[in-house]
Amino acid sequence: MNNVRKISLIILLIGAVVIASCGPAAPAEEAPAADDAMEESAADESAEEAASDTMEVTYVDGIPQYGCLGSAEDALVDLECREVTFAVENAYLPFNYIEIESGQANGWDYEIFPMICEMLHCTPVFVETVWETMIQQVQEGQFDMAGDGITINDERDENGDFSIGYVNTVMRLLVNVGEDRFTSIEEFVADPDLIMGTQINTTNYETAVEYLPEERVQAFDTFPFANAALVAGDVDAVIMDEVVGLGYQGENADVLELVGPPITSDELGFYFPEGSELVDPVNQALQALMDDGRLNELNMKYMGPSFALTYDDVQ
Amino acid sequence: MEESERRVIEIRKNGFPWWLVIIGAIIAVTLLLIINAPSFNDAFAAIRIGITTTISITLIAYAISLIIGLIVGLGRVSSNVVAKNLSTFYIELVRGIPMLVLIFFIALVVVPGAVNGVASLGNWLKGVGVLTLGQKLADINIRMISMSLRAIIALSITYGAFSAEIYRAGIQSVPAGQMEAARSQGMSYGQAMRHIILPQAIRNVLPAIGNDFIAMLKDSSLVSVLAVRDVTHLAKLFAGGSFKFTEAYTILAVLYLSMTILLSLLVKLIERKISTNDK
Repeated sequence: MNNVRKISLIILLIGAVVIASCGPAAPAEEAPAADDAMEESAADESAEEAASDTMEVTYVDGIPQYGCLGSAEDALVDLECREVTFAVENAYLPFNYIEIESGQANGWDYEIFPMICEMLHCTPVFVETVWETMIQQVQEGQFDMAGDGITINDERDENGDFSIGYVNTVMRLLVNVGEDRFTSIEEFVADPDLIMGTQINTTNYETAVEYLPEERVQAFDTFPFANAALVAGDVDAVIMDEVVGLGYQGENADVLELVGPPITSDELGFYFPEGSELVDPVNQALQALMDDGRLNELNMKYMGPSFALTYDDVQ
Repeated sequence: MEESERRVIEIRKNGFPWWLVIIGAIIAVTLLLIINAPSFNDAFAAIRIGITTTISITLIAYAISLIIGLIVGLGRVSSNVVAKNLSTFYIELVRGIPMLVLIFFIALVVVPGAVNGVASLGNWLKGVGVLTLGQKLADINIRMISMSLRAIIALSITYGAFSAEIYRAGIQSVPAGQMEAARSQGMSYGQAMRHIILPQAIRNVLPAIGNDFIAMLKDSSLVSVLAVRDVTHLAKLFAGGSFKFTEAYTILAVLYLSMTILLSLLVKLIERKISTNDK
Protein backbone atom coordinates (compact mmCIF):
# COMPACT_ATOMS: atom_id res chain seq x y z
CA MET A 1 0.00 0.00 0.00
CA ASN A 2 1.44 3.37 -0.81
CA ASN A 3 1.53 6.16 1.73
CA VAL A 4 -1.60 7.99 0.62
CA ARG A 5 -3.70 4.86 0.93
CA LYS A 6 -2.24 4.11 4.37
CA ILE A 7 -3.03 7.57 5.65
CA SER A 8 -6.54 7.50 4.19
CA LEU A 9 -7.21 4.17 5.85
CA ILE A 10 -6.11 5.48 9.22
CA ILE A 11 -8.23 8.60 8.87
CA LEU A 12 -11.19 6.44 7.85
CA LEU A 13 -10.78 4.29 10.95
CA ILE A 14 -10.62 7.32 13.22
CA GLY A 15 -13.69 8.72 11.51
CA ALA A 16 -15.53 5.45 12.07
CA VAL A 17 -14.77 5.57 15.81
CA VAL A 18 -16.01 9.15 16.06
CA ILE A 19 -19.22 8.36 14.19
CA ALA A 20 -19.82 5.33 16.38
CA SER A 21 -19.71 7.51 19.47
CA CYS A 22 -22.15 10.01 17.92
CA GLY A 23 -24.79 7.38 17.22
CA PRO A 24 -27.17 7.32 20.19
CA ALA A 25 -27.29 11.09 20.58
CA ALA A 26 -28.55 11.61 17.02
CA PRO A 27 -32.20 10.60 17.52
CA ALA A 28 -32.55 12.86 20.57
CA GLU A 29 -31.11 15.79 18.69
CA GLU A 30 -33.43 15.35 15.71
CA ALA A 31 -36.57 15.39 17.80
CA PRO A 32 -36.08 18.90 19.23
CA ALA A 33 -36.26 20.45 15.77
CA ALA A 34 -39.92 19.53 15.63
CA ASP A 35 -40.44 20.29 19.29
CA ASP A 36 -39.07 23.80 19.10
CA ALA A 37 -42.24 25.13 17.55
CA MET A 38 -44.29 23.51 20.28
CA GLU A 39 -42.14 24.78 23.14
CA GLU A 40 -43.49 28.32 22.99
CA SER A 41 -47.07 27.20 23.31
CA ALA A 42 -46.16 24.70 26.02
CA ALA A 43 -44.72 27.47 28.18
CA ASP A 44 -47.91 29.45 27.89
CA GLU A 45 -50.09 26.60 28.97
CA SER A 46 -51.57 26.52 32.41
CA ALA A 47 -49.60 25.03 35.27
CA GLU A 48 -51.65 21.83 35.27
CA GLU A 49 -50.95 20.96 31.67
CA ALA A 50 -47.28 21.81 32.04
CA ALA A 51 -47.00 19.26 34.80
CA SER A 52 -47.96 16.43 32.48
CA ASP A 53 -45.43 14.21 30.71
CA THR A 54 -46.10 15.75 27.33
CA MET A 55 -44.13 18.97 28.01
CA GLU A 56 -42.02 19.52 24.92
CA VAL A 57 -38.45 20.57 25.50
CA THR A 58 -35.12 20.68 23.69
CA TYR A 59 -32.52 18.20 24.77
CA VAL A 60 -28.83 19.03 24.63
CA ASP A 61 -26.59 16.06 25.44
CA GLY A 62 -29.64 14.43 26.98
CA ILE A 63 -30.29 17.24 29.45
CA PRO A 64 -33.55 19.13 28.93
CA GLN A 65 -33.25 22.83 28.25
CA TYR A 66 -36.07 25.17 29.14
CA GLY A 67 -36.95 28.72 28.45
CA CYS A 68 -38.58 30.98 31.00
CA LEU A 69 -41.55 29.14 32.50
CA GLY A 70 -44.72 30.52 33.96
CA SER A 71 -45.84 34.09 33.83
CA ALA A 72 -45.57 37.11 36.06
CA GLU A 73 -49.31 37.29 36.74
CA ASP A 74 -49.73 33.68 37.83
CA ALA A 75 -46.50 33.46 39.81
CA LEU A 76 -46.58 32.93 43.57
CA VAL A 77 -43.36 34.90 43.75
CA ASP A 78 -42.16 36.54 40.55
CA LEU A 79 -38.51 35.71 39.92
CA GLU A 80 -38.63 37.63 36.64
CA CYS A 81 -37.30 34.85 34.44
CA ARG A 82 -34.01 34.58 36.26
CA GLU A 83 -32.02 31.44 35.61
CA VAL A 84 -31.96 29.06 38.54
CA THR A 85 -29.22 26.42 38.39
CA PHE A 86 -30.23 23.06 39.82
CA ALA A 87 -27.52 20.49 40.57
CA VAL A 88 -28.05 16.80 39.83
CA GLU A 89 -25.74 13.83 39.51
CA ASN A 90 -27.66 11.84 36.85
CA ALA A 91 -26.83 8.59 38.60
CA TYR A 92 -29.42 8.43 41.37
CA LEU A 93 -32.69 6.64 40.71
CA PRO A 94 -35.42 7.81 40.99
CA PHE A 95 -34.42 11.44 41.30
CA ASN A 96 -32.17 11.94 38.30
CA TYR A 97 -30.84 9.45 35.79
CA ILE A 98 -30.22 8.99 32.07
CA GLU A 99 -32.52 6.58 30.27
CA ILE A 100 -30.61 4.17 28.05
CA GLU A 101 -33.05 3.99 25.16
CA SER A 102 -33.57 7.68 24.66
CA GLY A 103 -30.29 8.96 26.11
CA GLN A 104 -32.37 11.61 27.89
CA ALA A 105 -32.27 12.65 31.50
CA ASN A 106 -35.37 11.96 33.53
CA GLY A 107 -36.53 11.53 37.09
CA TRP A 108 -38.33 13.13 39.99
CA ASP A 109 -35.98 16.14 39.98
CA TYR A 110 -36.47 16.66 36.27
CA GLU A 111 -40.24 16.84 36.72
CA ILE A 112 -40.59 18.85 39.88
CA PHE A 113 -38.15 21.63 39.11
CA PRO A 114 -39.91 22.83 35.94
CA MET A 115 -43.16 22.63 37.90
CA ILE A 116 -41.64 24.87 40.58
CA CYS A 117 -40.28 27.33 38.03
CA GLU A 118 -43.70 27.40 36.39
CA MET A 119 -45.04 28.80 39.65
CA LEU A 120 -42.17 31.19 40.24
CA HIS A 121 -41.69 32.52 36.71
CA CYS A 122 -38.07 31.42 36.45
CA THR A 123 -35.85 29.58 33.97
CA PRO A 124 -34.78 26.14 35.17
CA VAL A 125 -31.22 25.14 34.31
CA PHE A 126 -30.11 21.60 35.17
CA VAL A 127 -26.40 21.16 35.81
CA GLU A 128 -24.74 17.79 36.18
CA THR A 129 -22.06 17.33 38.83
CA VAL A 130 -20.83 14.59 41.13
CA TRP A 131 -22.41 13.81 44.47
CA GLU A 132 -19.12 13.83 46.32
CA THR A 133 -18.64 17.56 45.95
CA MET A 134 -22.25 18.67 45.46
CA ILE A 135 -22.92 19.83 49.01
CA GLN A 136 -19.72 21.85 49.14
CA GLN A 137 -20.39 23.35 45.71
CA VAL A 138 -23.81 24.52 46.81
CA GLN A 139 -22.38 25.99 50.01
CA GLU A 140 -19.91 27.94 47.90
CA GLY A 141 -22.70 29.19 45.68
CA GLN A 142 -21.66 27.39 42.50
CA PHE A 143 -25.27 26.32 42.11
CA ASP A 144 -28.45 28.09 43.15
CA MET A 145 -29.87 24.86 44.53
CA ALA A 146 -29.47 21.10 44.49
CA GLY A 147 -31.97 18.27 44.21
CA ASP A 148 -30.65 14.69 44.21
CA GLY A 149 -32.64 13.57 47.24
CA ILE A 150 -30.53 15.25 49.91
CA THR A 151 -31.32 14.31 53.50
CA ILE A 152 -32.02 17.23 55.79
CA ASN A 153 -29.67 17.23 58.75
CA ASP A 154 -28.17 19.75 61.15
CA GLU A 155 -24.61 19.46 59.96
CA ARG A 156 -25.50 20.39 56.40
CA ASP A 157 -27.87 23.06 57.69
CA GLU A 158 -24.97 24.86 59.35
CA ASN A 159 -23.45 26.11 56.13
CA GLY A 160 -26.46 25.97 53.85
CA ASP A 161 -30.23 26.22 53.86
CA PHE A 162 -32.84 23.55 53.29
CA SER A 163 -36.29 23.84 51.83
CA ILE A 164 -39.18 22.20 53.63
CA GLY A 165 -39.10 18.44 53.34
CA TYR A 166 -40.70 17.08 50.19
CA VAL A 167 -40.72 13.42 51.08
CA ASN A 168 -39.98 11.19 54.01
CA THR A 169 -37.66 8.32 53.43
CA VAL A 170 -36.26 5.48 55.42
CA MET A 171 -33.06 3.57 54.94
CA ARG A 172 -33.11 -0.10 54.17
CA LEU A 173 -30.75 -2.80 53.04
CA LEU A 174 -30.46 -3.87 49.43
CA VAL A 175 -29.31 -7.47 49.17
CA ASN A 176 -29.01 -10.28 46.69
CA VAL A 177 -32.26 -12.19 46.25
CA GLY A 178 -32.41 -15.21 48.50
CA GLU A 179 -30.06 -13.73 51.09
CA ASP A 180 -30.60 -15.79 54.21
CA ARG A 181 -27.72 -14.85 56.47
CA PHE A 182 -29.49 -11.83 57.91
CA THR A 183 -32.83 -10.06 57.78
CA SER A 184 -32.07 -6.85 59.62
CA ILE A 185 -29.23 -4.49 60.38
CA GLU A 186 -28.83 -5.94 63.85
CA GLU A 187 -28.28 -9.43 62.49
CA PHE A 188 -25.91 -7.96 59.92
CA VAL A 189 -23.82 -6.36 62.64
CA ALA A 190 -23.73 -9.62 64.58
CA ASP A 191 -22.01 -11.52 61.77
CA PRO A 192 -18.43 -10.22 61.58
CA ASP A 193 -17.83 -11.56 58.07
CA LEU A 194 -20.41 -9.34 56.44
CA ILE A 195 -19.37 -6.19 54.63
CA MET A 196 -21.68 -3.25 53.93
CA GLY A 197 -21.52 -1.12 50.82
CA THR A 198 -22.83 2.38 50.30
CA GLN A 199 -22.12 5.69 48.60
CA ILE A 200 -19.45 8.02 49.91
CA ASN A 201 -20.48 11.14 51.84
CA THR A 202 -24.09 10.14 52.32
CA THR A 203 -26.19 9.95 55.44
CA ASN A 204 -26.40 6.27 54.49
CA TYR A 205 -22.67 6.05 55.09
CA GLU A 206 -22.95 7.87 58.39
CA THR A 207 -25.67 5.49 59.54
CA ALA A 208 -23.58 2.53 58.42
CA VAL A 209 -20.60 3.60 60.52
CA GLU A 210 -22.90 4.12 63.49
CA TYR A 211 -23.71 0.44 63.37
CA LEU A 212 -20.46 -1.01 62.05
CA PRO A 213 -16.74 -0.38 62.43
CA GLU A 214 -15.34 1.53 59.46
CA GLU A 215 -13.42 -1.50 58.20
CA ARG A 216 -16.71 -3.25 57.51
CA VAL A 217 -18.11 -0.41 55.41
CA GLN A 218 -17.00 0.17 51.83
CA ALA A 219 -17.88 3.60 50.48
CA PHE A 220 -18.01 3.85 46.69
CA ASP A 221 -18.31 6.96 44.55
CA THR A 222 -21.78 6.10 43.25
CA PHE A 223 -24.56 3.70 44.16
CA PRO A 224 -24.39 1.81 40.84
CA PHE A 225 -20.79 0.99 41.77
CA ALA A 226 -21.84 -0.22 45.20
CA ASN A 227 -24.56 -2.35 43.62
CA ALA A 228 -22.09 -3.84 41.16
CA ALA A 229 -20.00 -4.82 44.17
CA LEU A 230 -23.14 -6.34 45.76
CA VAL A 231 -23.88 -8.45 42.71
CA ALA A 232 -20.25 -9.53 42.41
CA GLY A 233 -20.20 -10.56 46.05
CA ASP A 234 -17.70 -7.99 47.28
CA VAL A 235 -20.25 -6.60 49.73
CA ASP A 236 -23.16 -8.37 51.35
CA ALA A 237 -25.62 -5.51 51.48
CA VAL A 238 -25.94 -1.92 50.36
CA ILE A 239 -27.58 0.55 52.71
CA MET A 240 -29.58 3.18 50.88
CA ASP A 241 -32.70 5.27 51.00
CA GLU A 242 -35.73 3.11 50.39
CA VAL A 243 -36.93 5.29 47.54
CA VAL A 244 -33.64 4.63 45.79
CA GLY A 245 -33.76 0.94 46.56
CA LEU A 246 -37.19 0.70 44.97
CA GLY A 247 -35.44 1.65 41.76
CA TYR A 248 -34.03 -1.85 41.81
CA GLN A 249 -37.35 -3.61 42.19
CA GLY A 250 -39.43 -4.46 39.20
CA GLU A 251 -37.47 -6.10 36.46
CA ASN A 252 -34.50 -6.77 38.70
CA ALA A 253 -36.61 -8.47 41.36
CA ASP A 254 -34.91 -11.75 40.51
CA VAL A 255 -31.47 -10.38 41.41
CA LEU A 256 -31.86 -7.80 44.16
CA GLU A 257 -34.37 -7.06 46.88
CA LEU A 258 -34.89 -4.75 49.84
CA VAL A 259 -35.00 -6.41 53.23
CA GLY A 260 -35.40 -5.50 56.82
CA PRO A 261 -37.35 -2.94 58.80
CA PRO A 262 -36.67 0.76 58.29
CA ILE A 263 -33.38 1.78 59.85
CA THR A 264 -33.78 5.52 60.13
CA SER A 265 -36.37 8.00 59.01
CA ASP A 266 -35.44 11.27 57.41
CA GLU A 267 -36.86 14.04 55.35
CA LEU A 268 -35.38 15.00 52.02
CA GLY A 269 -35.23 18.62 50.90
CA PHE A 270 -33.68 20.94 48.36
CA TYR A 271 -30.36 22.44 49.39
CA PHE A 272 -29.40 26.09 48.94
CA PRO A 273 -26.41 28.30 49.74
CA GLU A 274 -26.65 29.90 53.18
CA GLY A 275 -29.06 32.82 53.19
CA SER A 276 -30.32 32.19 49.68
CA GLU A 277 -33.32 34.30 48.70
CA LEU A 278 -34.72 31.36 46.73
CA VAL A 279 -35.59 29.31 49.81
CA ASP A 280 -38.81 31.11 50.59
CA PRO A 281 -40.23 31.15 47.02
CA VAL A 282 -39.38 27.48 46.55
CA ASN A 283 -41.01 26.64 49.87
CA GLN A 284 -44.14 28.44 48.78
CA ALA A 285 -44.14 26.51 45.53
CA LEU A 286 -43.59 23.20 47.35
CA GLN A 287 -46.41 24.01 49.75
CA ALA A 288 -48.73 24.78 46.84
CA LEU A 289 -47.81 21.46 45.22
CA MET A 290 -48.51 19.69 48.49
CA ASP A 291 -51.87 21.41 48.87
CA ASP A 292 -53.16 20.61 45.43
CA GLY A 293 -51.96 17.00 45.57
CA ARG A 294 -49.46 17.14 42.73
CA LEU A 295 -46.48 16.53 45.00
CA ASN A 296 -48.07 13.36 46.28
CA GLU A 297 -48.89 12.30 42.74
CA LEU A 298 -45.27 12.80 41.70
CA ASN A 299 -43.97 10.97 44.76
CA MET A 300 -46.22 8.01 44.05
CA LYS A 301 -45.13 8.02 40.44
CA TYR A 302 -41.43 7.82 41.20
CA MET A 303 -41.24 6.40 44.68
CA GLY A 304 -44.28 4.21 44.82
CA PRO A 305 -44.44 0.52 44.03
CA SER A 306 -45.42 1.15 40.43
CA PHE A 307 -42.04 2.67 39.55
CA ALA A 308 -40.61 0.00 37.34
CA LEU A 309 -37.38 1.44 36.00
CA THR A 310 -34.21 -0.25 37.14
CA TYR A 311 -30.54 0.53 36.76
CA ASP A 312 -30.55 -1.68 33.66
CA ASP A 313 -32.70 0.87 31.88
CA VAL A 314 -30.47 3.77 32.73
CA GLN A 315 -26.92 4.71 31.92
CA MET B 1 36.19 13.55 44.99
CA GLU B 2 34.75 14.10 48.41
CA GLU B 3 31.03 14.30 49.00
CA SER B 4 31.12 17.93 50.18
CA GLU B 5 33.29 19.03 47.28
CA ARG B 6 30.91 17.34 44.89
CA ARG B 7 27.94 19.07 46.45
CA VAL B 8 29.55 22.50 46.22
CA ILE B 9 30.35 21.92 42.57
CA GLU B 10 26.77 20.82 41.94
CA ILE B 11 25.34 23.90 43.63
CA ARG B 12 27.67 26.13 41.64
CA LYS B 13 26.57 24.37 38.49
CA ASN B 14 22.82 24.25 39.11
CA GLY B 15 22.32 27.19 41.44
CA PHE B 16 21.05 26.99 44.98
CA PRO B 17 17.90 24.83 45.16
CA TRP B 18 15.45 27.57 46.16
CA TRP B 19 12.61 25.43 44.83
CA LEU B 20 13.38 22.90 47.52
CA VAL B 21 13.44 25.60 50.17
CA ILE B 22 10.02 26.88 49.12
CA ILE B 23 8.55 23.40 49.11
CA GLY B 24 10.13 22.78 52.49
CA ALA B 25 8.50 25.96 53.74
CA ILE B 26 5.08 24.80 52.51
CA ILE B 27 5.52 21.51 54.30
CA ALA B 28 6.71 23.26 57.46
CA VAL B 29 3.73 25.64 57.46
CA THR B 30 1.33 22.74 57.05
CA LEU B 31 3.01 20.90 59.90
CA LEU B 32 2.56 23.99 62.09
CA LEU B 33 -1.10 24.13 61.14
CA ILE B 34 -1.52 20.48 61.99
CA ILE B 35 -0.01 20.99 65.40
CA ASN B 36 -1.83 24.21 66.24
CA ALA B 37 -5.18 24.22 64.47
CA PRO B 38 -7.64 21.60 65.79
CA SER B 39 -9.45 21.22 62.47
CA PHE B 40 -6.18 20.47 60.67
CA ASN B 41 -5.22 18.17 63.49
CA ASP B 42 -8.46 16.20 63.10
CA ALA B 43 -7.97 15.97 59.37
CA PHE B 44 -4.42 14.73 59.74
CA ALA B 45 -5.40 12.19 62.38
CA ALA B 46 -8.06 10.79 60.05
CA ILE B 47 -5.87 10.75 56.95
CA ARG B 48 -2.56 9.48 58.25
CA ILE B 49 -4.03 6.06 58.98
CA GLY B 50 -3.88 5.48 55.25
CA ILE B 51 -0.19 6.25 54.78
CA THR B 52 0.87 2.65 55.38
CA THR B 53 -1.75 1.47 52.90
CA THR B 54 -0.61 3.90 50.24
CA ILE B 55 3.06 3.09 50.65
CA SER B 56 2.61 -0.67 50.89
CA ILE B 57 0.39 -0.79 47.83
CA THR B 58 2.92 1.27 45.90
CA LEU B 59 5.89 -0.83 47.00
CA ILE B 60 4.24 -4.18 46.26
CA ALA B 61 2.80 -3.06 42.95
CA TYR B 62 6.10 -1.53 41.89
CA ALA B 63 8.11 -4.60 42.78
CA ILE B 64 5.77 -6.75 40.72
CA SER B 65 5.81 -4.27 37.85
CA LEU B 66 9.61 -4.37 37.76
CA ILE B 67 9.53 -8.14 37.37
CA ILE B 68 6.79 -7.98 34.71
CA GLY B 69 8.70 -5.18 33.00
CA LEU B 70 11.92 -7.17 32.89
CA ILE B 71 10.24 -10.19 31.31
CA VAL B 72 8.28 -8.13 28.81
CA GLY B 73 11.26 -5.86 28.08
CA LEU B 74 13.44 -8.84 27.29
CA GLY B 75 10.68 -10.19 25.06
CA ARG B 76 10.54 -6.88 23.27
CA VAL B 77 14.22 -6.95 22.28
CA SER B 78 14.42 -10.64 21.50
CA SER B 79 14.46 -11.88 17.95
CA ASN B 80 11.90 -14.58 18.76
CA VAL B 81 8.73 -13.70 16.82
CA VAL B 82 6.32 -14.97 19.45
CA ALA B 83 8.05 -13.24 22.35
CA LYS B 84 8.43 -10.01 20.48
CA ASN B 85 4.81 -9.86 19.35
CA LEU B 86 3.34 -10.88 22.68
CA SER B 87 5.41 -8.25 24.46
CA THR B 88 4.58 -5.52 22.00
CA PHE B 89 0.89 -6.50 22.14
CA TYR B 90 0.91 -6.27 25.93
CA ILE B 91 2.67 -2.92 25.98
CA GLU B 92 0.44 -1.32 23.36
CA LEU B 93 -2.70 -2.72 24.99
CA VAL B 94 -1.87 -1.42 28.45
CA ARG B 95 -0.53 1.92 27.31
CA GLY B 96 -3.71 2.39 25.32
CA ILE B 97 -6.04 2.29 28.32
CA PRO B 98 -6.10 5.03 30.96
CA MET B 99 -5.19 3.92 34.46
CA LEU B 100 -8.57 4.73 36.01
CA VAL B 101 -10.39 2.76 33.32
CA LEU B 102 -7.96 -0.12 33.74
CA ILE B 103 -8.54 -0.18 37.49
CA PHE B 104 -12.30 -0.34 37.01
CA PHE B 105 -11.93 -2.94 34.28
CA ILE B 106 -9.71 -5.22 36.31
CA ALA B 107 -11.62 -4.84 39.55
CA LEU B 108 -15.12 -5.24 38.14
CA VAL B 109 -14.68 -7.29 34.98
CA VAL B 110 -11.46 -9.27 34.85
CA VAL B 111 -11.20 -10.45 38.44
CA PRO B 112 -14.86 -11.48 38.93
CA GLY B 113 -14.71 -13.16 35.51
CA ALA B 114 -11.51 -14.98 36.41
CA VAL B 115 -12.96 -16.07 39.75
CA ASN B 116 -16.05 -17.46 38.03
CA GLY B 117 -13.85 -19.16 35.47
CA VAL B 118 -11.70 -20.80 38.10
CA ALA B 119 -14.77 -21.91 40.04
CA SER B 120 -16.26 -23.47 36.90
CA LEU B 121 -12.96 -25.17 36.18
CA GLY B 122 -13.05 -26.56 39.72
CA ASN B 123 -16.53 -27.92 39.22
CA TRP B 124 -15.55 -29.51 35.93
CA LEU B 125 -12.53 -31.09 37.55
CA LYS B 126 -14.76 -32.48 40.26
CA GLY B 127 -17.06 -33.86 37.61
CA VAL B 128 -14.12 -35.46 35.88
CA GLY B 129 -12.90 -37.02 39.10
CA VAL B 130 -10.09 -34.78 40.29
CA LEU B 131 -11.74 -34.14 43.64
CA THR B 132 -9.38 -32.37 46.03
CA LEU B 133 -7.99 -29.89 43.54
CA GLY B 134 -11.41 -29.47 42.00
CA GLN B 135 -12.99 -28.70 45.36
CA LYS B 136 -10.29 -26.21 46.19
CA LEU B 137 -10.83 -24.36 42.94
CA ALA B 138 -14.59 -24.51 43.15
CA ASP B 139 -14.48 -23.00 46.62
CA ILE B 140 -12.77 -19.89 45.38
CA ASN B 141 -14.65 -16.82 46.43
CA ILE B 142 -14.31 -13.33 45.07
CA ARG B 143 -13.85 -12.07 48.59
CA MET B 144 -10.44 -13.78 48.62
CA ILE B 145 -9.18 -11.21 46.15
CA SER B 146 -9.59 -7.99 48.05
CA MET B 147 -10.00 -4.62 46.37
CA SER B 148 -6.46 -3.76 47.48
CA LEU B 149 -5.15 -6.82 45.69
CA ARG B 150 -7.09 -5.96 42.57
CA ALA B 151 -5.73 -2.43 42.71
CA ILE B 152 -2.19 -3.79 43.06
CA ILE B 153 -2.76 -6.04 40.06
CA ALA B 154 -4.02 -3.13 37.98
CA LEU B 155 -1.12 -0.89 38.98
CA SER B 156 1.50 -3.60 38.35
CA ILE B 157 0.08 -4.42 34.95
CA THR B 158 0.08 -0.79 33.89
CA TYR B 159 3.51 0.08 35.19
CA GLY B 160 4.87 -3.25 33.97
CA ALA B 161 4.34 -1.91 30.47
CA PHE B 162 6.12 1.35 31.27
CA SER B 163 8.99 -0.52 32.94
CA ALA B 164 9.27 -2.80 29.94
CA GLU B 165 9.85 0.18 27.69
CA ILE B 166 12.43 1.55 30.13
CA TYR B 167 14.29 -1.76 30.20
CA ARG B 168 14.18 -1.88 26.43
CA ALA B 169 15.72 1.57 26.20
CA GLY B 170 18.33 0.56 28.74
CA ILE B 171 19.26 -2.62 26.91
CA GLN B 172 19.45 -0.83 23.59
CA SER B 173 21.62 1.88 25.11
CA VAL B 174 24.34 -0.65 25.89
CA PRO B 175 26.77 -0.62 22.94
CA ALA B 176 26.31 -3.53 20.57
CA GLY B 177 29.99 -4.29 20.94
CA GLN B 178 29.36 -5.56 24.45
CA MET B 179 27.07 -8.32 23.24
CA GLU B 180 29.47 -9.22 20.46
CA ALA B 181 32.38 -9.35 22.87
CA ALA B 182 30.41 -11.50 25.30
CA ARG B 183 29.31 -13.91 22.60
CA SER B 184 32.85 -14.10 21.27
CA GLN B 185 33.95 -15.20 24.73
CA GLY B 186 31.66 -18.19 24.37
CA MET B 187 28.70 -16.93 26.45
CA SER B 188 25.20 -17.84 25.37
CA TYR B 189 22.64 -15.09 24.73
CA GLY B 190 21.16 -15.66 28.16
CA GLN B 191 24.50 -15.59 29.94
CA ALA B 192 25.56 -12.46 28.09
CA MET B 193 22.30 -10.78 29.08
CA ARG B 194 22.52 -11.75 32.70
CA HIS B 195 26.17 -10.99 33.34
CA ILE B 196 27.08 -8.21 30.91
CA ILE B 197 24.17 -6.39 29.32
CA LEU B 198 21.52 -6.18 32.01
CA PRO B 199 23.73 -4.84 34.80
CA GLN B 200 24.83 -2.01 32.53
CA ALA B 201 21.34 -1.46 31.18
CA ILE B 202 19.79 -1.22 34.62
CA ARG B 203 22.46 1.18 35.83
CA ASN B 204 21.73 3.38 32.83
CA VAL B 205 18.00 3.55 33.45
CA LEU B 206 18.03 3.76 37.23
CA PRO B 207 16.85 7.40 37.16
CA ALA B 208 13.89 6.45 34.98
CA ILE B 209 13.02 3.55 37.22
CA GLY B 210 13.18 5.77 40.27
CA ASN B 211 10.95 8.35 38.60
CA ASP B 212 8.43 5.66 37.70
CA PHE B 213 8.22 4.67 41.34
CA ILE B 214 7.40 8.22 42.30
CA ALA B 215 4.82 8.35 39.51
CA MET B 216 3.21 5.21 40.83
CA LEU B 217 3.01 6.69 44.30
CA LYS B 218 0.88 9.46 42.85
CA ASP B 219 -1.19 7.11 40.70
CA SER B 220 -1.90 4.97 43.74
CA SER B 221 -4.42 7.65 44.69
CA LEU B 222 -6.68 6.14 42.01
CA VAL B 223 -7.26 3.05 44.13
CA SER B 224 -9.56 5.20 46.26
CA VAL B 225 -12.34 4.65 43.71
CA LEU B 226 -12.35 1.00 44.76
CA ALA B 227 -12.99 2.12 48.33
CA VAL B 228 -9.47 1.03 49.29
CA ARG B 229 -8.63 2.97 52.44
CA ASP B 230 -5.57 4.85 51.26
CA VAL B 231 -4.86 8.48 52.13
CA THR B 232 -6.98 9.82 49.27
CA HIS B 233 -10.03 7.78 50.24
CA LEU B 234 -9.69 8.68 53.90
CA ALA B 235 -9.39 12.35 52.96
CA LYS B 236 -12.59 12.06 50.91
CA LEU B 237 -14.41 10.39 53.79
CA PHE B 238 -13.21 12.96 56.29
CA ALA B 239 -14.11 15.88 54.03
CA GLY B 240 -17.55 14.46 53.34
CA GLY B 241 -18.35 13.78 56.95
CA SER B 242 -17.01 17.00 58.46
CA PHE B 243 -17.35 19.41 55.51
CA LYS B 244 -13.78 20.52 56.20
CA PHE B 245 -12.73 20.28 52.57
CA THR B 246 -9.91 22.85 52.82
CA GLU B 247 -8.21 21.06 55.70
CA ALA B 248 -8.62 17.61 54.22
CA TYR B 249 -7.41 18.33 50.71
CA THR B 250 -4.60 20.68 51.74
CA ILE B 251 -3.17 18.03 54.02
CA LEU B 252 -3.66 15.37 51.36
CA ALA B 253 -1.82 17.42 48.74
CA VAL B 254 1.05 18.31 51.07
CA LEU B 255 1.27 14.68 52.20
CA TYR B 256 1.73 13.43 48.66
CA LEU B 257 4.20 16.24 48.01
CA SER B 258 6.25 15.30 51.06
CA MET B 259 6.33 11.64 50.10
CA THR B 260 7.35 12.31 46.52
CA ILE B 261 10.01 14.89 47.40
CA LEU B 262 11.48 12.53 49.97
CA LEU B 263 11.50 9.72 47.45
CA SER B 264 13.01 11.80 44.66
CA LEU B 265 15.81 12.93 46.98
CA LEU B 266 16.33 9.29 47.91
CA VAL B 267 16.46 8.32 44.24
CA LYS B 268 19.03 11.05 43.53
CA LEU B 269 21.12 9.76 46.43
CA ILE B 270 21.01 6.19 45.15
CA GLU B 271 21.92 7.33 41.66
CA ARG B 272 24.91 9.19 43.00
CA LYS B 273 26.05 6.20 45.03
CA ILE B 274 25.73 3.89 42.04
CA SER B 275 27.60 6.19 39.67
CA THR B 276 30.31 6.75 42.28
CA ASN B 277 31.04 3.05 42.12
CA ASP B 278 31.74 3.41 38.44
CA LYS B 279 34.71 5.69 39.07
